[in-house]
Amino acid sequence: MDTILSVEGLEVEFATYGGTVKAVRGVSFDVTRGETLAIVGESGCGKSVTVQSLMGLIPMPPGEITGGTATLNGKNILNLPPAEANKFRGVEVGMIFQDPMSSLNPTMTIGDQIAETLKVHRGKSDQEAFKLAVELLERTHIPEASKRAKQYPFEFSGGMLQRAMIAQSLACNPAILIADEPTTALDVTIQAQILELMLELQRTENMSIILITHDLAVVARMADRVAVMYAGQVIESGTVDDIFYRSSHPYTLGLKEAMPSNTDDRDKSLSPILGSPPDLFKPPVGCGYCARCPYAMAVCAEHLPPTTTISESHEARCWLHHPTAPDIEELHQLDDQNAG
Amino acid sequence: MLAYTLKRLFAGVVTVWFIATATFIAMHQVPGDPLMNDKAVSAEIRANLEAKYGLDKPVTEQYFIFLGNMLRGDFGISFTQQNRRVNDIIRDHFPISATLGLLAIFFAATGGVLWGALTAIYRNRLPDIVIMFLVILGISVPSFVFAALGQLFLVNLNSLFGQSIIPVAGWGTFWHMLMPSMVLGLGTMALLTRLMRSSMLEVVNEDYIKTARAKGLSPTRIFFKHQLRNAILPVITVLGPQIAAITTGGFVVELVFAIPGLGRYFVQAVQQLDYTVIMGTTVFYGAFLVMMVIIVDILYGFIDPRVRLS
Amino acid sequence: MSLFEPTAADFEPLARQEKAEQITRPSLSYWQDAWVRLKKNTRAIISLGIIVLLGLFTMIGPLLWSVNPALQNLNQVSQAPSWAKSAVVIAPYQSWDGIRLDNFTSPDQTFTSLPEPTGFSTPDTPTTQRVRLAWDQVPGADGYNVYRNNHAPRDFNDLGLPLGSTYGDELSYEDRLSLEPREYYYSLVPTDGYDEYEVYSQLILTPVLALTPDEAVERGLITDTHEVNIGDLVTIEFHPLGTDYLGRDMLARLMEGARVSLFIGIVAPFLFVLVGIIYGGFAGYFGGRVDGLLMRFAEFVVALPFLLFMILFKIAFGIGPGESGIMPMLLALVLLSWPSTARLVRGQVLQIREEGYIEAARLLGAKDHYLVLRHIIPNTMGVILVTLTFAVPAAIFTEAFLSFIGMGVAPPTPSWGSMCNEGVKTMLSHPHELIFPALLISITVLAFNLLGDGLTEALDSKMRSRD
Ligand SMILES: Nc1ncnc2c1ncn2[C@@H]1O[C@H](COP(=O)(O)OP(=O)(O)OP(=O)(O)O)[C@@H](O)[C@H]1O
Ligand code: SF4
Ligand SMILES: [Mg+2]
Repeated sequence: MDTILSVEGLEVEFATYGGTVKAVRGVSFDVTRGETLAIVGESGCGKSVTVQSLMGLIPMPPGEITGGTATLNGKNILNLPPAEANKFRGVEVGMIFQDPMSSLNPTMTIGDQIAETLKVHRGKSDQEAFKLAVELLERTHIPEASKRAKQYPFEFSGGMLQRAMIAQSLACNPAILIADEPTTALDVTIQAQILELMLELQRTENMSIILITHDLAVVARMADRVAVMYAGQVIESGTVDDIFYRSSHPYTLGLKEAMPSNTDDRDKSLSPILGSPPDLFKPPVGCGYCARCPYAMAVCAEHLPPTTTISESHEARCWLHHPTAPDIEELHQLDDQNAG
Repeated sequence: MLAYTLKRLFAGVVTVWFIATATFIAMHQVPGDPLMNDKAVSAEIRANLEAKYGLDKPVTEQYFIFLGNMLRGDFGISFTQQNRRVNDIIRDHFPISATLGLLAIFFAATGGVLWGALTAIYRNRLPDIVIMFLVILGISVPSFVFAALGQLFLVNLNSLFGQSIIPVAGWGTFWHMLMPSMVLGLGTMALLTRLMRSSMLEVVNEDYIKTARAKGLSPTRIFFKHQLRNAILPVITVLGPQIAAITTGGFVVELVFAIPGLGRYFVQAVQQLDYTVIMGTTVFYGAFLVMMVIIVDILYGFIDPRVRLS
Repeated sequence: MSLFEPTAADFEPLARQEKAEQITRPSLSYWQDAWVRLKKNTRAIISLGIIVLLGLFTMIGPLLWSVNPALQNLNQVSQAPSWAKSAVVIAPYQSWDGIRLDNFTSPDQTFTSLPEPTGFSTPDTPTTQRVRLAWDQVPGADGYNVYRNNHAPRDFNDLGLPLGSTYGDELSYEDRLSLEPREYYYSLVPTDGYDEYEVYSQLILTPVLALTPDEAVERGLITDTHEVNIGDLVTIEFHPLGTDYLGRDMLARLMEGARVSLFIGIVAPFLFVLVGIIYGGFAGYFGGRVDGLLMRFAEFVVALPFLLFMILFKIAFGIGPGESGIMPMLLALVLLSWPSTARLVRGQVLQIREEGYIEAARLLGAKDHYLVLRHIIPNTMGVILVTLTFAVPAAIFTEAFLSFIGMGVAPPTPSWGSMCNEGVKTMLSHPHELIFPALLISITVLAFNLLGDGLTEALDSKMRSRD
């Protein structure tokens, strides 16, 4: 397969007033052309920090990338000086953020902001760039694009702004679009439209998407593959089916149980995951989920579980996959697989 | 925008009326009859004044005569300088004060923006610490002390070179204006620097700056195109009220540097209880300041699209 | 990690020790919490210390330094700060004939250059009564110029005050020009009777502070001239911060001035904040039309150009003969300054009114005045305290400004501002008269500003949740 982005053992720390926060602790994943990789996990587990460190958007200081590699089309992209980083930012990788209202410069017209990318990276003239910006707005289905392009962000609705953001990030036909919770700040109907737009553009541009979300329903709808993060680590990754139907990590199971679903029988009550994620000032030596895991074993507290390959596409980090570990009902399928 | 401008102008007119009324009331509280107090007034002028201001009439009537005169832009005749019209005094001396004030505002605004941006860039590093220390000083030291120090500096500078490099006092050339206007702008500059710094730091953390970086823009471009413009906006909003501060601060500077501006005239008039000059100048200054605030607000509207288009 | 091979025992279910939830942070009241945070702010604490010191300076100072601030002494006008506590008693001034050459003939030509004068010295002890200078004849010179400077001359053009000239046969000079017990740089330049030769020699000396018995009696140091002998030391009134243009003790005047400046600086904000609280509280509490009207009026008052109207109101309230003018200034300050507090309080009250707990209290049957006292006022106290802290330096500035342009307190009442006004006139010759009051104003304003900054941070509830 055609791997575009490959992240290996990424580690990010923040030096704060209270100590060092180990926000990302050895994250690895690959992105192949045309696919959507969803990154899910609780708030604060390091999703945003992961993608922002790839883009060089971590404020340094206090942030620091302390380890790992990230290769985009064969080139290293970590810890580049701004001049180097700007060769791929906005060109090969586009990015959109959670809150479109605050993500656009309030004193610059939408059209100018989109055109700016084209002028900087493609050397277009003012008029040319603006014309292309209008085309981009049209491609993201903004009505009356040429009029809209002359307007300021405050004249747009949230959904329109997110479309404009997408248009802006698409300006240079990037290979990857990173979307950090692109729909969280929008209301439900608008959410669906934005996701639809992203899918459509992905098909037409053959673009990869890294989609960060809390919402498993969005994952189910959008993603090809999923990486589940917990306390700064990827604890399970696999195809959507692997994650939803062959969940191999107690945390993923917990996430699923905490999610309302319309296929399960309605009587089944939702069970939130009790407790809170570990303090990343002092990350646990063993499994990060240990304190909340219903299956926790003596080994979990002291030793980091190794990554177990469950199938070609499916990996998980849990001691339960060790040959000597007891069988767990809920994780049965995987044991069947292992046996078979 | 037009409706907004009209609304502001109307409110401005009402404010000026209020200022005139307050002036009238205040001046009528002055103990004793200002006319009787002043021996310098000749019988002829007194008769003139009494006729003009209706001083023998009831207060309410005097008030309307006063308002009428103000409306016509007629501020009357000075008590102490016979036959000199207040309008002429204002016309002769206000341009000097205005020049001084404008230069001061210019120094204050450019300096404030520059230093503020610099401190934000070098946040918590040496330049920031040094400038912010100076800013705190600038806010805490009264303007007349700066004026005195400025003059002292010029005296020493000139004596060092054994000749008058920059004039120590007076008015006329650009060199006369340099030190007074810098001194006058200093307090405001300190204030604006502080404001600009916090505004810059706020903008740096805005999401759209992150967006700009994700777009692959160079730091210089981000700084000038995205950060600076947005950070300057709050600085502009306080410029209007600051003009008032600079105008009154001008009184002191004009006194110390012996500049024949309207401020010095006003202070002199107050000391001599020159009734008409005080009233006229107060109303004039009041109207001027109200207008400045309105102008700055409208200008702001042109810079900030959120105001312009709403 | 990969080396680790777990055994079966490792896969036993984890025994969890049920730790009781510990409350790690002691719960603090709003004010305790703010105080804890303020204490961490070194600058604010230092400022608080300075403010306390200023208070002591004003209150206790006059008890320790009981010099009458109004006492004029024209013998000691504009004296620089000094620690000299005693003066030597000397005989009354006797004229001096100086040193003259008996057989001197003027040189009949002007030389291109002359050697430096030699033997430039004092024949006896220089005192503040007079400094006598003598020198050796410079062959070829037909006169001498004597200069005096307060600092070391940089070059020939910087010899300082020209004291006088002598003829070629006069080899001495007596300086009696307002001498102070400080270091002087005397320079001697030979002339051709008219023009100077560009050479000089220098003498550095410090005159001894000296008094004649009569002067000592005059100054009230002794009652009778017979009490002392020539050469005795008498203790004189000393002025650690010097004297002003009327010979009044600066330190005593600064203390007296502090009373005036701080009185206005602290009382005026208290008064107008109080007025603002009542006005704003009223407007906010009643809301609706009352609120609209009250706030419209407040807006007008805000629009008045502040210092212009301060001056105007000051004139309007007038100062009668013998009055200090403090009260008119206070009144004018209150009249013009209350709207900002009123607006602030009104906003706070409106906001708090909307909050659930007021509604809840009302449902529980709380009376209005109870609500105001128990909830609304305590909740606005934080902002009000900050306003108050920043209002103090503003008021001190206003007083100083007005007094400086002669519109403030009336002489002889000293205030820091009026002292600056007087000091600026003699700034070039006696800078201490301006420097001390200006320094005190600046330090006070600085301290209150920094304390205000600290309080803002400490009381900011957003920061409260942060750490
Ligand atoms: N600038 C920073 N300084 C200090 N710590 C930071 C900084 N940015 C992020 N962190 C820390 O890094 C951790 C991960 O944050 P991150 O924003 O990646 O979470 P997230 O998974 O994106 O959560 P959310 O779903 O809420 O967006 C958090 O514990 C956070 O406290
Ligand atoms: S390693 Fe242990 S604690 Fe962690 S998820 Fe697996 S079973 Fe639970
Ligand atoms: Mg995030």
